[in-house]
Formats: sequence, C-alpha cells, structure tokens
Amino acid sequence: MEPNENKKGLGRFYRGDKRAFTHRERKGFKDTFYDYFRWLKLYGLMVVKLMVHPILIVKALLRYRWMASYLTAANMVDRHTLGLRGKELRYTHEQFYSLMYYSVVKIRDIIVRDLHLRPKSKHAAKLRANTLMFDEMTPSIIMAGFPKVKWIDISMFTIGEPGEVDQNANIFYIDAIEHFGMASDVCPLPEAEVGCAVTDDYPIVGRAYVTSSMPCDGSIGQTTFLGRYIEKNGIEIFQIIPPQRFNEEQVQDFAVKNLKKCIAFIEKEMNTKWDWDAFWKGAEMYNTSTKMMINKWDVNCTPYPQVCGAALALQREYEYQEVACLDPFFIKTDIKVDKMMQKGYLQDKKNDTNKPKYRAIVWACPAHYYTNFTYWTQHCWGVKCVVDMECMLSHHFFHIGDKEQAMIDMAKSYERMMMRSHTNGGYVNSLDECWKMAEKFKADIVIMFDHVSCKNVAGLHGLYEEQARKRGIHLVWVSHDLMDPRTVSRKAMRTSFNQYMQNIFHAEPLDPSLLDYEEALTW
Amino acid sequence: MASYYMSSGSCEYSRALLERGLEGGYHFLDAIAGVDACEAMNRAMENMELLQVNSPEKKNFFYTNLDIPCTDDEDAVAHLREQVYRKVLTQLHEKYDIDISDKAIIDSVNKHNEICRLFKEMDQYRHLDNPTITGYEFAIFVLASYVCPKDLMIDKLKETCEELKTRVPDKKKDFRIKAVVVGSEIDDPDLIKLFEENGIRVVCDRYCYGSVPGRQEIILNKDEDILTQVVRNYVQTTECPRQCIPHKVKYRFQHAADLVKEYNADGIIYEQMKFCTYWSYERTLASHVLRDEYHIPTLSIDRPYRSGNSGQLCTRVQAFVENVEIKKIKAQRAKKNEEAK
Repeated sequence: MEPNENKKGLGRFYRGDKRAFTHRERKGFKDTFYDYFRWLKLYGLMVVKLMVHPILIVKALLRYRWMASYLTAANMVDRHTLGLRGKELRYTHEQFYSLMYYSVVKIRDIIVRDLHLRPKSKHAAKLRANTLMFDEMTPSIIMAGFPKVKWIDISMFTIGEPGEVDQNANIFYIDAIEHFGMASDVCPLPEAEVGCAVTDDYPIVGRAYVTSSMPCDGSIGQTTFLGRYIEKNGIEIFQIIPPQRFNEEQVQDFAVKNLKKCIAFIEKEMNTKWDWDAFWKGAEMYNTSTKMMINKWDVNCTPYPQVCGAALALQREYEYQEVACLDPFFIKTDIKVDKMMQKGYLQDKKNDTNKPKYRAIVWACPAHYYTNFTYWTQHCWGVKCVVDMECMLSHHFFHIGDKEQAMIDMAKSYERMMMRSHTNGGYVNSLDECWKMAEKFKADIVIMFDHVSCKNVAGLHGLYEEQARKRGIHLVWVSHDLMDPRTVSRKAMRTSFNQYMQNIFHAEPLDPSLLDYEEALTW
Repeated sequence: MASYYMSSGSCEYSRALLERGLEGGYHFLDAIAGVDACEAMNRAMENMELLQVNSPEKKNFFYTNLDIPCTDDEDAVAHLREQVYRKVLTQLHEKYDIDISDKAIIDSVNKHNEICRLFKEMDQYRHLDNPTITGYEFAIFVLASYVCPKDLMIDKLKETCEELKTRVPDKKKDFRIKAVVVGSEIDDPDLIKLFEENGIRVVCDRYCYGSVPGRQEIILNKDEDILTQVVRNYVQTTECPRQCIPHKVKYRFQHAADLVKEYNADGIIYEQMKFCTYWSYERTLASHVLRDEYHIPTLSIDRPYRSGNSGQLCTRVQAFVENVEIKKIKAQRAKKNEEAK
C-alpha cells in the first residue's frame, strides 16, 4: 500500500507508480465546478487552436520529442491549483490561462511554419519569410517597432516551457549532449538547448535569427552551438551583446549602439522599416503590464498578499520573455487579475483574514522541474511565497515619445530581464537586493534555491550564509539541478525544506500527508 | 575556505585565487583589477572585495571590475576603452599619481614588444622538425613573463635565446608526435610535462597563459589615440570562448587548424579545466569540428586544475599518441600501396 493511501490531505493525490494524480480534488461545489470548467476551457482551447491542423500535430508529435510534453499542460495547471480555494484558485487559473493561451497559439504558429514538418509547402515558406526567430533572453520588445513581422522564441517553446510542464522533458537532450562530450557540471538549461540542436530537434520557422550574449556563461556557450545549427540552415544571425555591469550609466551608450545595429539587421533581413508609432503602442502595453506587476508586488508587501507563488512568477516570466508584453490577451488578463486582486485585498484587510503563517521570498534560480514547489511549502507548512526573484524583472518604464530615451529604456529593460537582472551587474544585484527584498516584503524566510550547476550564485554561497546569519534571516537552502530531476529529485528538495522547518522552526506541518510522498514518475 | 565562499562547484582556479587572498597573500598589492568576463572570476573578485583581502594599511587600495564586451567591433573597443580609462587608469593616477599619459603607455607597450620579440625568437625553435626547446621549458618562460616585472626578465630571456642558437637536439627524437595544446587556463607547467613525458612534444601553446595569443607585439600608429589602439589589440586578439560572436567562433577553429599546419603538428589537445563553462562548450564543439571537418586528430580533455600527476590523464595521452601513430602508419601504407599500383 502507498504511504498516503487512505489518508486525508493533499498527499493522497500522489502515487509513486502513477504519472497523473490518482483522482481530481474536490474543492466544494463552487470551486470544483469552477476548476473543472477551467480544465475544460484549456482543453477546448487546445482543440480549437491545434486540431484544425490534425496532420501537422501528428507529424509534430512524431518529429519532436518536446512536443509530447505539451499534452500534459492541463496536469501542470492542476499541480499548481491543487489545494487552492476561492480567490486564490481564480487568480492562479487566470494567470496560467494567459500563459497557456499564448503557448498554444505559438505552437500552432510553429507547426504551420516549420521547415522540418513542411519542407515543400509554399504557404509555410511564405510564412517563414515574414517570421523572425528569437533565442531566449533577448530583448524581443524590439519587435514592437516591426508590427508587420511575426516573431517566435524558439528556445522557450522547445526547451524552457516543456521542462516546466513535464519534469522529464529535457532529460533526453541533456544525455544527448553529454554523450557528445559536454562536461556534466554545466547548467542543464543551455545544455538541454544544445542537446536539442545536436539532435536536430529545433523547428526552423523564420528567415533570420536574433540571439544574445546570454546572462550566464552556460548560455553564452549555448550560442556557439545554436548559432552554428541555425547557420547550417542558411539563416542569418544577429547577436545582441548587452553590457554586464549595467548599473553603471556609462555602459548604456554601448548597449544603445548595439540595439540600433539589431534594428538595422532586422530591417535588412526582413525587408521592413522601423515604425515608431507602432513602437509607442507596444511600449504603452509594456508599461501597462509593468504597472500591473508592480501593483502585485505592492499588495504582496502588505499583511494580505494575494497573487503568490508560481502564478505570480511564471506569468511574468512568460509575459516578458515569450510575449515581450505585446500580447493583448496577456494585458487583458493583467487588468482583470489586478481588479480581482484589489478587491480580494480590501476584503482580506477588512476581515483581517488570510494572513500567511510564514512569509517567504524565493531567491536565485528556481527548479524548472518543480515550479509548484512554493505551493507545496504553502500547503505543507503554511509558508507562502510572496515574491519570487524570477518575476522581479524589467520594472523600468518606457518614456513614451522620446526616441533617444526609448532606446536607453529598451536597453535598461533587457539588462534587467529574467536572470540577468540579478545574476549580472555585480553582487549588489543579487546579494544586497535579496536582503532589501526580504525587508520590503517582510519575509520570515528566504527560500534560497541552490541550483547545483549554477556557478554564478554558487560564487556568493558563503557570503549569503554569513550575511543571513548576521541579519537573523532564515535562509533555507533548497538544492536542485534546474532541469534535471535525476540530480536532485523533487522529493529531495522537499526533504531539505522539511528538515529546516522541523529542526529550526520546530514547526508542525499543516498537512502531514505532504511530508513524504513519491512522484518521480509524474509530469 | 574559498570552497565555503564559492562552493565546490566553482572553478578551482578562481577558488585558489580567493584562498590566497584569504590567507593574506595579497597584502603587498595596491589595487586589484578584475574582469567581469566569467562568473567564477567575477565572483572571486567580489568575494575578495567584500571579505577585504587587501592590507588595511594601504589606504589608497582600490578594487575594480571591468565590463568586457563579448564582441570585437569598434563599439566594443570604445566601450572597453572607457572602462579601462575610468576604472583603472584614472584611479591609478588619482590615488597613486601614476603617469597615464600617451608617452607612458607607449613606453609600456615598447617593453611588452621587446619581450614579445624575444619569445618570437625562441618560438622559431618550436617550428623545427626536431624542436630544440620543449613545451615544458617554453611554458615556464611564458608563465614567468606574465608575472615577473619585465625589466627583470629581459636579460634572462636574451641569455636563453643565445643558448638556443647552439643547442643540439638528440639524434633520436625523444617524442613520438607533436601537438598543439588549445584550451583553458594552464598555470601549471607540470601538465605540459605530463603530455611530454607520455610521448608528445607540445609545439604550440594556444591556451590561457600560453603565448598564443599574448606574446605578440602591439603595433601602434601615430594617428590614433594610443589607449584605443592598445584596447583594440586585446579586444581583437583574445581567443577566450566568451567571445561568442559567430565570426570569432569560426576564427578560433580555423586558427587552431592553422597552428597545426604552421607547427607541422600531428594533432591537437583540447583541454578544459573542470568547471570552466566556456571551455566546456568550446572544447566539446571544437573537438568534433577539428576532427570531422578539418580531419585533425584531436584529444578532448576535461581535467582538474592541478593535474600534472594524473595517472588517468597519462593513459589518455598515451592512447592518443598510439592512435595518431597508427593513423600515420596506415596513411603511409596506403600511400605505398597507391605508389605500387
């Protein structure tokens, strides 16, 4: 018998020999109905958007390993909404739906354009001719100035997102590149991306490619492989080179010149012209999205945090990275969630309810294969994640109407994008910022993700420990290997957190069924 | 202690630098200038700064960390020039009254060039069919030239050059194959010795702390700002895999192949210090490209920082030597058969 069978609590939904949950959670009539309706809505969306191309979908599933992971997208949402009720359930569904909506649309865009799936199609060739491919960690907001050109981030859809949907999605690519000779101590994210290239598993969906000198050494290494792969397909590349020490105003000149070169590259390759009017519209959308993000932070600084955990972090991450804040559906969701959040906050404040038992901030790079970790801390120990480093990105507003300043704004925006914002620019952005945020968000705990292959944060390991001790902050190290659950399993991550809560806080779990369960097989 | 501060997963070289600092080994320094070029070195410098490894008695002591662009165009040159001028030269001048005029820079370049000319002279003996200088000897001189005041080294190098003119090699070669070593930081000549004790003569050192690049003259002109010219030289000649712009990646592969040709080597050793992420990617890719596209026998090594006594490495080097020799024998046989036909 499984340890959690016949028990109460959320742990009963997991079984070591099952991939999916044993059964759906009953959350009371209203919430179960709502939850089920959202589940149907997501599958409905997938059917409507993707099944209009049934042959292409089958071809894509047979051609690309990463594609199969998207079939488990609904399970990803279920993992994050498990145990949630009322308004928190609704925030989470709304946030995740915008993310899923855009992903489904982009998958459709990929399969109808892909050279590998449709090598002889004139229609696909025509679509590719007007599409620009992007690597992750690029300032795709630049595309606001090219409204007639379609753009697709090929890295996020093939590696980044599948790894978050399905914990085992990237293992094949990691093994492939290690067989090729790569040292196994490098970060599994760029490693998997490179593995995807050597196994020829990237879709070719455009006529030019924009990449960057990424925020970490591994990602920089990735560009040498990916650049070669893309070039072999006869595609021109532009590599954006942002400055590292971006806290210094003096470096912005270099950054702006580089962005202007990128604009010239796109103009030449895509045979188009930069459109300032369109850019201002895009910049306004970006500003709105940023404003909505800051509103969430502000509310979460109060005793009544509302949009928390991965619903806060992943949505922002994808809105910036995959969408560049240029998607009306995301903006619409932002505004809707903002209204719901303000209402929920006032309600909680009035009733003085829903105060978290412990408040935590998440720092350093979280495990892609365990994005719902902070929901587990919330349900098991009452530790609510009020902010995540990954969502604290690009909060610099565009100055609408000032062309020269707009270029500086764009540079500052991507200098402070995901990862780069905290791991580049010197220790101040990582170390000092952590303590500042812990204070601002009144955190009892800093969940310090110890990505075992990340040499960047590892280089500050001792300083983090020393300074946390000095400041009396509970710094809970949770080791993981970003995209490879074989190195540190989800269970091992939970165990390290359990040990801290039991031995240091002497806390009792809110849900003991979540203390120990097996889920290595699940998505 | 450095492993505590930087974790055991960080590059051992950067940890060794920090350890030295924590032991008080940098109290003789007046400043530390680092580069934000790789994560490990950047964090090592930052640890030094926060842990104050400098002497408290040196009131003018300063730390600085430069932003190094990953490309080599003129914007990158201008960017790095600004960084060097503001963060290093200006501080040296203001805190220590050091002359940073064009004349002073030209004098330094001249000293550098004099050293480079001597290395060029020594290098010609590595081009011989039976080189009269070993890779180990050359590695020691090059390493010393990076850390010793140039004034104190010039006469020693001149003396060595004179000796080399009359040095006679053994009649029977004391090596089985010649190789170019390409890769990450080697500050341990024992590693080169290990290669050479197992049948290889290292004829070219295309690694960090090697002479290619690094020991080539900087040619200045009178028409342009001197500092810009010096900076351009570094930006354009560096072969660190951090320079990820596509044309630089291609250049590095081509250059490695060209060096094999120039030194009449039989193969390449692509080595990477463990935990060096840049070289992990470069070594992996290059070892396939050089072997499959340039048809150059390549040994790909992922090694610890100190590995001059590694038995495992000896076995791999010996296997590589045998592999190259067998290829040579087979090629000779095939040639003979062709001629016989």
